[in-house]
Amino acid sequence: MKEIRFENVKKSYGNTEVVKELDFTIHEGERLILLGPSGCGKSTTLRMIAGLENISSGNLYMGGKLVNDVPSGKREVAMVFQNYALYPHMTVKQNIVYALRMKKVPKKEIAARLEDALTMLQLRGLEDRLPKDLSGGQRQRVALARAVVKQADFFLLDEPLSNLDAQLRVSARKELVKIHEKYKQTIVYVTHDQIEAMTVGDRIALLNEGVLQMIDTPENVYHRPANIFTAKFIGAPPTNILEMVYYDGHIQFGFQKMAIPDGWVGQIKKAKSTEMVFGIRPEHVEIMKEPRENVMFATVKSVENLGAEYAVYLDFHNEEVIVLSSEKEWHAGEQVYIRPNVQHMHIFDKATTNSIGYPERMVSRVPVFN
Amino acid sequence: MKISKKVSVPWHIVFLITIFLLIFPIVFAVGSSFKTLQDAYNNPLSLFSLNPTLENYQTFFDSLPALQITLNTFLIASVVTIFKVVTSFLAAYAFVYFIFKGKNTLYFILISTIFLPFTVTMIPNYLIISNLGLSDSLWGVVLPQLADAMGIFLLTQALRTIPVSLIEVARLDDMSHWQIMRDIVLPLARPAVTSTSIWFFITAWNEYVWPVLILKSTENFTLPLALQMYISSEGGTNFTVAMAVSVITMIIPLALYLMFQRYIIGTFTSSGIK
Amino acid sequence: MTASLKKISANKQAWFAYGMLLPSVVIMAVFMFWPFLYTIYLSFFDWNMIKPTKEFVGLQNYINVLKDPITYKVFWNSAVYIFILLVINFTVPYIFAFILDFVIGKMNGFYKSAFFLPAFISLVVGSILFTWILNPISGPVAIVMGWFGLEMPIWSKLDGWVIFVLSLITSWKIFGYNFILLYASINGISREIIEAARLDNVPLWKIFFHIVVPMSSATGIYIFIITIVQGLQFAFTPIKVITQGGPNYASSNVIYHAYHEAFVLYRTGHSAALSILTMVIFVILLILEFKYVERGIYYENK
Repeated sequence: MKEIRFENVKKSYGNTEVVKELDFTIHEGERLILLGPSGCGKSTTLRMIAGLENISSGNLYMGGKLVNDVPSGKREVAMVFQNYALYPHMTVKQNIVYALRMKKVPKKEIAARLEDALTMLQLRGLEDRLPKDLSGGQRQRVALARAVVKQADFFLLDEPLSNLDAQLRVSARKELVKIHEKYKQTIVYVTHDQIEAMTVGDRIALLNEGVLQMIDTPENVYHRPANIFTAKFIGAPPTNILEMVYYDGHIQFGFQKMAIPDGWVGQIKKAKSTEMVFGIRPEHVEIMKEPRENVMFATVKSVENLGAEYAVYLDFHNEEVIVLSSEKEWHAGEQVYIRPNVQHMHIFDKATTNSIGYPERMVSRVPVFN
Repeated sequence: MKISKKVSVPWHIVFLITIFLLIFPIVFAVGSSFKTLQDAYNNPLSLFSLNPTLENYQTFFDSLPALQITLNTFLIASVVTIFKVVTSFLAAYAFVYFIFKGKNTLYFILISTIFLPFTVTMIPNYLIISNLGLSDSLWGVVLPQLADAMGIFLLTQALRTIPVSLIEVARLDDMSHWQIMRDIVLPLARPAVTSTSIWFFITAWNEYVWPVLILKSTENFTLPLALQMYISSEGGTNFTVAMAVSVITMIIPLALYLMFQRYIIGTFTSSGIK
Repeated sequence: MTASLKKISANKQAWFAYGMLLPSVVIMAVFMFWPFLYTIYLSFFDWNMIKPTKEFVGLQNYINVLKDPITYKVFWNSAVYIFILLVINFTVPYIFAFILDFVIGKMNGFYKSAFFLPAFISLVVGSILFTWILNPISGPVAIVMGWFGLEMPIWSKLDGWVIFVLSLITSWKIFGYNFILLYASINGISREIIEAARLDNVPLWKIFFHIVVPMSSATGIYIFIITIVQGLQFAFTPIKVITQGGPNYASSNVIYHAYHEAFVLYRTGHSAALSILTMVIFVILLILEFKYVERGIYYENK
């Protein structure tokens, strides 16, 4: 059982609580992404797993064992650091095998693992170079190789790709998934980049200010955000959040209103709260010049060229709404019509910011990629 | 940043004059050590003699146990250096890589002794050495010099520049502290350890206060103490011999400095302050 | 149970650390801290290092020190030493470091090496070299001055002159160390800040006072203090070698005088009291210095 379980884990430095009550499980053999803005406690969480930070209170179990007081070296973890932490005075080969040699792994075994890692990470021919003579991508692969050869149960990565350029990142992501498919370790991967999170992760744990916001598959985190923070953090441009009132099968924004499906009506009625906010992603709002059925009007404020599409910034009852459009012909001051796609809408309790949930029928419509 | 040559040329001249003032005495000493006393008085301005002679060196070796004195200086400097480097390195390692109660207070107290004038410990240290029966012995000169926090300061600063993540990787690999020290910290801190050692060696080689207080018989003398014998008599009649002894005293520190100057300057400058 | 486990592992770590600190701490305790306390103790007794008994005299040693006109003379001398040492080894290297980094910008490796070189030579050697070079009758400097009709003062016998020359000799040794530390600190200031100022046509001297000095002030203060505290101790060697504090205490400073009282006159109580007073004055100066300057300090590394 190579799972990792947090039970009411807290971490504070003096009076500052960096991690407030973590309570979740990382399953054996999965790739779990710790995602969040900087300072959200994701690196601290990873370092607690590694045993590089003490736990202030609560319990941490790894492989079924309580490890609060188990030193790093006894936790069966391998870690890749953001700056790679390669020993600058050792060659590529020495860096990779150093830990194995110290652990007195048989020579033959070391040689075999080294060969494997060199091949898989395309480091052949670089064995005798020093880290300073390697490119950024090569260093990153050496760091991976050094972690891989340990064949540890738990594989921890702290922003491992953040020092690479965009192109290298894409290939490095694939490499990582390849490695995981070969060794099936339990991977915990810290990043602030949501594309990385979406492409690498089996599940994403989203943290903010030391609190776990949501832990679920990338699809659910995107399509079924558990709260306003998740909705706004995932996706760019961020989800539009609007003040709303429910009235008789409609959602009302100021003096305009929009019909919603019966499923949502039931869901809203079930909700305990009466104060709610409406959320819709920019890619889920249609924008048009001529009115059609079930549309509302808004005024164009500005247009931003995103390359593939245009982000249209609208004034909608004195709130800003962002809409994505493939067309360019939008002009500031112009009046336009918008139609949110109700299949993709979200409704949150205004007080708790939590989602009020989704109608049954709609859940089944979410594509499942797993 | 480009600044016109007009401004920088006068400053080059100022700097070169300063260097002349700093280096001239050394060249002058070397030149004079090969002159006869007569020659030195007659031609004080000519740096090198037309009839170089070794008689000043000869006089030193005839009048004092010169080899013994040089060996004493070397032994004292070596023992002081080895002891100080080892203890300072261990202390620096503890200060940088361990968390323990009283760490900051202890570091502060140790480092602040750098600012204590030696006179506040001079008399008791003299008494300790006398009571241990180490008066007029090499150990008597060695022991009081060992209490010096400068090495702890320099090495602590040097170890702090080693990225913590390197140590963390090693800890994740279940490395013992001895392994980390031997295979990671020591190789990476080698420039700092080397230059700190050289600094210790040279400081002990040049040490004057403790030899003056402790050493009485000429066969126990160190070079600076022997050198002093050629000036204490008013008028300094043995001036050229003094220059020869000066050259012998300078030669090892200068050779070490010229060999390792890059390391040494690097260590002092990167140590920074605080 | 978890709490106690944690304690054990934390304690184990701590004991390891204490073990590594032990050699340094023992040595410092025996040859630094205990002697320091014993000096305080001695300052309350009348003793001559030989008598089997020490006579407790309370504050009498301190009163004697404060009544002795020689005390005031050596304190005044020390102030003069400090002033000269600061000008030569604080102000000048500060300006030189700035000039080398921002005006010259070339050959800095050569200049650093050359300036630092005398720091590695024994001050006894330095004292002897300069005694001859500055010999008022037959030394090379006197001869060159003679060409211009100038006469070299017999500095070792003249009040004022003697301190000036001994300070020069001390400076020869400490100038380079101060220079390279100040240079490193100034070199660490971000180029962009200076370049921005130059784009605004700020004159060099203003850049020096408004940007460079504040941004290197942590090192600056360290050098200031170390020049005062260690400068007086370094001056001990030329004083002992060349003048033995003479003529008539004109070249003695507090450090040399404490030595003189203890090992020439064998008045340990008097010497101890003087040393303690010196240290107290140093500490007060340091605190004042910190209080006064602390507000404007810019810590480079933070």
